[in-house]
Amino acid sequence: MSYQVCIDIGGTFTDCLVVAPDGEVRIFKSPTTPGEFENGFVNVLHVAAEGYGLESAAFVAQIDQIVHGSTVATNALVERKVARTGVILNEGHKDILTLREGPRKGAFEWKIDYPEPYIPASLTETVRGRIDARGHEHVALDEAQVREAVQKLIDRGVEAIAVGLLWSVVNPAHELRVAEIIREMQPGLAVSLSHKTNPLPREYKRIIATAIDASISPVISSYISKLVTKLEEGNFVGELLLANCVGGMMPTETMIEQPIYSVMSGPTLAPMAALALTDEKDVIVGDMGGTTFDVSALRDHKLIITPDSMIHDDALGIPKVDVRSVGAGGGSIAHVDVGGMLQVGPHSAGARPGPACFDLGGDKPTVTDANLLLGLIDPDYFLGGAFPLRCDLAEQAVKPLADELGVSVEKAAYAIYTTANHNMVGAIEDITIREGLNPRDSYFVAGGGGTALHIAEMADVMGLSNYMIPRFMAGLSAFGGLISDLRNDFSGALHTDARRFRLDEVNTLIDELRKEAKAFLEAARVPEDKHTFELSFQGRYEYQSWEIEVPFTLENGKLSETDIEDLAARFHAMHERIYSIRNEDDTVEFTRWNVRAIGKRDTIDTWRAGKVAAQDGAPVPKAHRPVWIQEGVDGGFRDLPVYELNDLGSGAEVSGPSVVEAETYTAIFRPGHDFKVDDLGNLLVTIQRS
Amino acid sequence: MSTTQQTRLDPFLVSVLKSRFESIVREMTLVVTKASRSAVIKNAKDLSCALLTYDHRLVTTEDALPIHVTSMDVATRPITEFFDDVKQGDIFLNNSPFTGGTHHADLIMALPVFFDGEPLFWAVALSHHADTGAPEPSTYLPYAKSIFEEGMHWPCVRVAENYEEKKDILRMGALRNRVPDLWLGDVRAQKGAVLTAEKRIVELCEKYGKDSIKDFVEDWFDYADRRAKAEISKLPKGTYDYQIAHDPVPGVADEGIPINLKIEVDPEAGEITVDVRDNIDCVPGGLNLSENTCLGACRIGVFNNLDASLPHCYGSARRIKVLMREGSAIGKPVYPAGTSVATTNVNDRLTTAGNAIFSKMGKPFGQAEGGPHLPVGMAVISGQDPFKDGQTYVNQIFVGYAGGGANHGHDGWLTYCGPANGGLITLDSVEVDESMYPFIIESREVEADSQGYGEFEGAPGVRGAYYPLNHDMTVMYAADASTFAPRGVLGGLDANPTKSRKKTRKGEVVDLPAFNQELCADGEKMIFNSCGGGGYGNPLDREPTRVAKSVNLGFICADTAREVYKVALSGPDSSGRFDVDADATATLRKTA
Repeated sequence: MSYQVCIDIGGTFTDCLVVAPDGEVRIFKSPTTPGEFENGFVNVLHVAAEGYGLESAAFVAQIDQIVHGSTVATNALVERKVARTGVILNEGHKDILTLREGPRKGAFEWKIDYPEPYIPASLTETVRGRIDARGHEHVALDEAQVREAVQKLIDRGVEAIAVGLLWSVVNPAHELRVAEIIREMQPGLAVSLSHKTNPLPREYKRIIATAIDASISPVISSYISKLVTKLEEGNFVGELLLANCVGGMMPTETMIEQPIYSVMSGPTLAPMAALALTDEKDVIVGDMGGTTFDVSALRDHKLIITPDSMIHDDALGIPKVDVRSVGAGGGSIAHVDVGGMLQVGPHSAGARPGPACFDLGGDKPTVTDANLLLGLIDPDYFLGGAFPLRCDLAEQAVKPLADELGVSVEKAAYAIYTTANHNMVGAIEDITIREGLNPRDSYFVAGGGGTALHIAEMADVMGLSNYMIPRFMAGLSAFGGLISDLRNDFSGALHTDARRFRLDEVNTLIDELRKEAKAFLEAARVPEDKHTFELSFQGRYEYQSWEIEVPFTLENGKLSETDIEDLAARFHAMHERIYSIRNEDDTVEFTRWNVRAIGKRDTIDTWRAGKVAAQDGAPVPKAHRPVWIQEGVDGGFRDLPVYELNDLGSGAEVSGPSVVEAETYTAIFRPGHDFKVDDLGNLLVTIQRS
Repeated sequence: MSTTQQTRLDPFLVSVLKSRFESIVREMTLVVTKASRSAVIKNAKDLSCALLTYDHRLVTTEDALPIHVTSMDVATRPITEFFDDVKQGDIFLNNSPFTGGTHHADLIMALPVFFDGEPLFWAVALSHHADTGAPEPSTYLPYAKSIFEEGMHWPCVRVAENYEEKKDILRMGALRNRVPDLWLGDVRAQKGAVLTAEKRIVELCEKYGKDSIKDFVEDWFDYADRRAKAEISKLPKGTYDYQIAHDPVPGVADEGIPINLKIEVDPEAGEITVDVRDNIDCVPGGLNLSENTCLGACRIGVFNNLDASLPHCYGSARRIKVLMREGSAIGKPVYPAGTSVATTNVNDRLTTAGNAIFSKMGKPFGQAEGGPHLPVGMAVISGQDPFKDGQTYVNQIFVGYAGGGANHGHDGWLTYCGPANGGLITLDSVEVDESMYPFIIESREVEADSQGYGEFEGAPGVRGAYYPLNHDMTVMYAADASTFAPRGVLGGLDANPTKSRKKTRKGEVVDLPAFNQELCADGEKMIFNSCGGGGYGNPLDREPTRVAKSVNLGFICADTAREVYKVALSGPDSSGRFDVDADATATLRKTA
């Protein structure tokens, strides 16, 4: 026997998905243990072992591979529990991390403080020396000044130094020399160089990434080593792979070298799952948890990579899979504002005290309380019945709000429900609008335990035609980890344009990147026939100030003169795809080149064998219960058939309205929402509109 | 209080329709952004969309620049005055300040939305066009004395009927434009947006019924009204006045342009009256405000002093009465006065006065003055690129701009730029700029101690230097606040003025005029000091920990802490941070 395991540490629960050799997939959950995440990791393995009726050590010994997504780096950053880090910048540019590119704010918002820089001024040093945009040394590096700066930082007790010099991406000589001097002066001190960490020709984003990388390095190293020790103690002899934020896995050694790739890695696994679950081209993935709703998307069946992700007050700086969050979850608290308008979130009751109906001391009305009062959730079958809910407490919590609004408790509950839905629709529109997707033409894959209670109404609001409730919706991210490839990005900056294309230099760069990419896959012990390399460039029209990512292919490993036109054509097409227009007469500029290494894992498709039995006869509901159904301005309870997921075979078809219950989720289907069960147990929904 | 509010609609429907209307405006904005062609619209996002009721009450704006939309009602109202046959499928264009437009470059497109034969809404898309066909190839012409030195005016012109474009009329616009294809493409992008809005509103009417939609609008206005009233009722009753001035502009206003602003606050009624009637007549240049921007600036000043989550629509704006005088530079201009820069310059100053006048109510009200637009760090640079075979480049850079004024509880916003944009303008990346244009940005840093000190401190200004590589570069700027620097309020101190200078080949640093087109020759350097914002409250009342924070941020030096704030610091500690020496500070402040 050998198992494949993915463990995803979320804010509330640590999810564990296990694929048995026959392809059967099971989900296990255990509470997350903040501060000592490795404990929750080990705990959930115990829970899984129990599920298979095995001793923990015996179970762990049979695991081939564990893939792992965590919030360790994200938490360290948000709580600023990071290493004391210094930064060395160019003279004249000491405030790169303070000015940023102008932090975001609301137009009428003035009662706010300007955010402090990630590295304080006292740990920021500048040195004379300058490279220009073409890579020429414009001003020589003042080494005496460098020594002074380094000494100052050492005296101030830094554990790491980030070096971020202008145009190091086209000529790293000054950064490399600074690194040499640091090593001379303090051997062993951790040094991150911006041209290596994030070779992006846009200084704030490159340097903030470098500073973050340097500062979390000790946190990540220590977490990984604790985890490895615990696993070894627990009899683990398989391979441990870690999720990164570019949509794949890395060996632990690689993650220790580039720890910034672990930041916000967990949520990026959800779109990975969607890649495997559907062949649809444009896909929205929504994952509703206890406190947030995370949205991501696939465009042309590819992950969307963005350089604009934010963490706390700063950009993360590196290009990563685009996932956006809005404060809408089961625990989001509803209130009536001073003008009499109902507001839901962003404040959340979290897991503790949680919604009032949890009976853990919470008394504020939350989305989960509303869902309970609307009959969307069966109080006796929450999390498969493991956790009974109290309707009376939900009602008590919602009543004052209903009084304030002057409506019945049910109507107030529906108001909470639909307001939360519209908040989530807003988040979806935010990402689709910016990435050039039309929600109406997109497919939707639901993730997280709560989404299936809400997706039907959201789908009608957005005008979707189809969506999917995956069998493992509640552990969609963990499922994504289970089926992810090894993946890492290797990129370099080289500015050129279609009219004066620097062919030889581009070829040399791509060649180098490809070598690095290959070395990564070899180090991860991926056999050569499983290697894939995807190429892309960042491009823009001349005098445009932002870039888009454009994939391209190479016939025989090298670009030739005739390919330049093709690269430009690909750029025009992508620009039109995202922004609806192309400017054929404008010059296309290329700023950065990327080689993505993909190593397919042997066992990755095992889960596809885990088919459910065919449906025998018409599906039979296990019960009926009253559920609130809203039609336009009118709403009321209707008696809906409730189906048990485990009773539904592949091919089963049910017309809406209906309810499906599973151990880890409840799904509500509105009138016109008809679903069919596929052979993996996913519910494929088609909406009939009159 | 909310328990007694009776809405026409079920409460859920108010929040649902609010979201849907926001979504419609977001989609409109997307359509304009995606389908437009010119950089000023696509890159700089110089566009705004809005929905108004058919009787010209602003319902929703999203992601909009405040000065574009806060008084959009002024721009649609003349349409129903000029036309008594408005019908489904009509489209109107308006950019004329004499028929409610902002300034000649902002082309406003409006489409009436009908349902069941009844006109319900105006869908409006405003874009700042790259060219207007003015005598000079720019849309900002401070010296243009009248409409005859500006681009083409569209005084509420019907450019489509039954959804069919009137090709002859659009041909007039295209002919009078330096980039006709770009112009027409951008106009069609606006058309795409208003048509999208029409479709979405019709869908909502079908789903919820026309009457529900009409009821929603009234409920929504009532809600905004209640929120605004509640906010205004917290203000002290009284009449307040404030004076400010735009810097001298030679030949247009040699002594500068003074602005008198008066407001009357009636907390019981929950109303504010803004009075700008006591101001000078129109000046012979493009610095006059339009009725639209004057009204907008007056409303924005008030909104900036109320809770930011207040809806900025008719419901809240109706609690702000604005009194303007015909023929005034700060009011309704008289035909054919020049209004080419009506959305920046004097408009910046009027908004700033509106922000600051609330400080006359005492703490915790109002804001100190922030800096205005267009220092050398925001110049339009042009020349022939020696690395691209002499190809011509011309564009505006955003390398270093002004800081914001302080308010009670908060220091000024560092990347402020100017009051018309609400701090939304992106600061350029040095590397992105240097990769586009043949120049070096030698420095761009916070200038410590350039701000106005106070209990709450203005944001410091930003200083820097840039120079052309291997060619001569033309630098155009209009640096207001070179003479009249942003001032502090309630005992807060003034910021340093903006400076525009050049370092010659000999190494001399020479002062340059504030409104200027300068040739920066190869070997010379442009030097800018964009001003910071003014302080709020007496510096001696500043919490010592905030003083230490400013020192630790590098925004002030330790001497300032001791001499201005009378705060003694200890340190630096091992990590280089300063802390407050409480005892020594107490002694210092006792003798201050």
